Amino acid sequence: MSKKSFIVLLLFLVMGLSGGLVALHPESPGSPAAHAAAAAAPPAPETPASTWTAPDQVAALERAKETVPFVDAVMDECKLCRQMRLRETGLGTKDIKHSYFVLNSPIINAVEDHYGPVRFMHSKHAAQIQDCAMCHHFRPLGADASETTRCSACHQEAFRKDHPERIGLKAAYHQQCMECHRDMNQGPVDCIGCHNKNVPEHKDKIQLAANPTPFEVTEECLRCHKAAGQDMLKTAHWLLKGPSPFTLGHRKEVEIGKATIATNNF
Amino acid sequence: MDLSRRGFFKIMGATGAGLAATGRSAAAWESRAPEDAYGCLVDLTRCIGCRKCEQACQTVNGLPQPEQSFDDLTILDRKRRPDEKSFTVVNRYYSGKIDERDQLIPTFVKIQCMHCQDPACASACIVGALTKKENGAVHYDASKCIGCRYCMVACPFEIPAYEYHNPITPRVMKCTFCYERVAEEGKLPGCAQICPVEAITFGKRADLLALGHQRIKDNPGRYLDHIYGEKEVGGTSWMYLSDQPFEDLGFIQVPEKPLPQLAETIQHSLFSYLWSPIVLFGMLSGVMWGFRDKGDRHIDREGENP
Repeated sequence: MSKKSFIVLLLFLVMGLSGGLVALHPESPGSPAAHAAAAAAPPAPETPASTWTAPDQVAALERAKETVPFVDAVMDECKLCRQMRLRETGLGTKDIKHSYFVLNSPIINAVEDHYGPVRFMHSKHAAQIQDCAMCHHFRPLGADASETTRCSACHQEAFRKDHPERIGLKAAYHQQCMECHRDMNQGPVDCIGCHNKNVPEHKDKIQLAANPTPFEVTEECLRCHKAAGQDMLKTAHWLLKGPSPFTLGHRKEVEIGKATIATNNF
Repeated sequence: MDLSRRGFFKIMGATGAGLAATGRSAAAWESRAPEDAYGCLVDLTRCIGCRKCEQACQTVNGLPQPEQSFDDLTILDRKRRPDEKSFTVVNRYYSGKIDERDQLIPTFVKIQCMHCQDPACASACIVGALTKKENGAVHYDASKCIGCRYCMVACPFEIPAYEYHNPITPRVMKCTFCYERVAEEGKLPGCAQICPVEAITFGKRADLLALGHQRIKDNPGRYLDHIYGEKEVGGTSWMYLSDQPFEDLGFIQVPEKPLPQLAETIQHSLFSYLWSPIVLFGMLSGVMWGFRDKGDRHIDREGENP
């Protein structure tokens, strides 16, 4: 059997399965499974089986590269008016087109790129908040314009001369996410809670001979990461003993580790 | 004593008349603030105290690495001032306000050179090493500096620092407003570019003032109706919006008149057309003329009694 016919067969199998699922649960919409199959189909022929990538991640990365034309004017309405209007039109979480985004806009990256992109669970946030207007706080002006649009439609470069009041995309993300996380007392408000730090490629930094001993490897790490080494010396892992900070009533007791109960405890 | 009472009054009268005449003719002090200067508007209600501005400043200006990492926010536990190794620092203040979860709400304040419209440091500089540029920056030229440090005494915001550790080529160190970067079209000061929440807005000073007043108008509950730097010392290129009184946030209370106004008025009225040295030496010569040897004093060269 050729590779091509195998893939076609696989595709039929997946579609048949999803069709069966829909038949079993007639009230559930068939679109997610069909969408997943459609998203899974394009990368399958090119990518070899050894480097599998999540199709939604690939799709989100592709989407992150897009830029949309700048929205010059927005409809001027109060938050409450907007919330009521959205409720009347029946727009809600069921209308979400993309459940997952990678926030990696070329608008920001053109200026600086210190941190890794943020992975944003759109549907999860929407399901918790149940209020589109919380983040989609304005809509483009015009009767035929979309009710919700992506952040980067209105927020692009910082300090635009034609729109001094409009904050840039980076600030829009940070203000929106962090202020809400703080108000709700949920979600991270520090840098590395959302971002991975861009760790430089270590291939050229590490200087090790062939077949190094474990001690040589540790020494090589400590050459740059001295503080991490000092911190390590204070851990329960190294001392073989530690407090029980989370056990109610036993907070000052040294219970973890074999330092106090074993004789030969190196 | 040959200078008679009448003669003395003659000389003093002439001096007074001369003083009065030149005093009136001395030109009134005029501001030399650039018309179309750039500036930055710092919105303290937006600042989250992440210290990224400090980090960007260090990178952009090639300043030495600090002992404590920029990611270490425990440094906010104490109040700092800009020094010769850091052009800008962020301090944290607690007003005593608490949020719904009884946590103290911090206010973070970024300090750097205010880049006054009429800078006292540039006025005090005797060699013109400090100048106010058309783009708003108060620019320091190390090649002209003689190290007198008058600028440090003159600055009302106590900003310029000095490389005391460097005995051969010491420099006065202060925020440059990223002069070279801003002079290039489309580039921003390092701190304004990196700020994740746009607490620093960069733009023309006039536009920023309009924007600041608009923000206050749109959200009067969030801001005090005061832009620090709009009128302080005749206006500064760096301006601040806040929800807390500025005096509680370590801001120095300064007059609204440009500081060089008084000093320069005195100096310029004293030295215009060099009238004051002329009068001084005229007076001295008058005194000498009054005391001159008229030949009626016999000097006994041989030491004999007359």
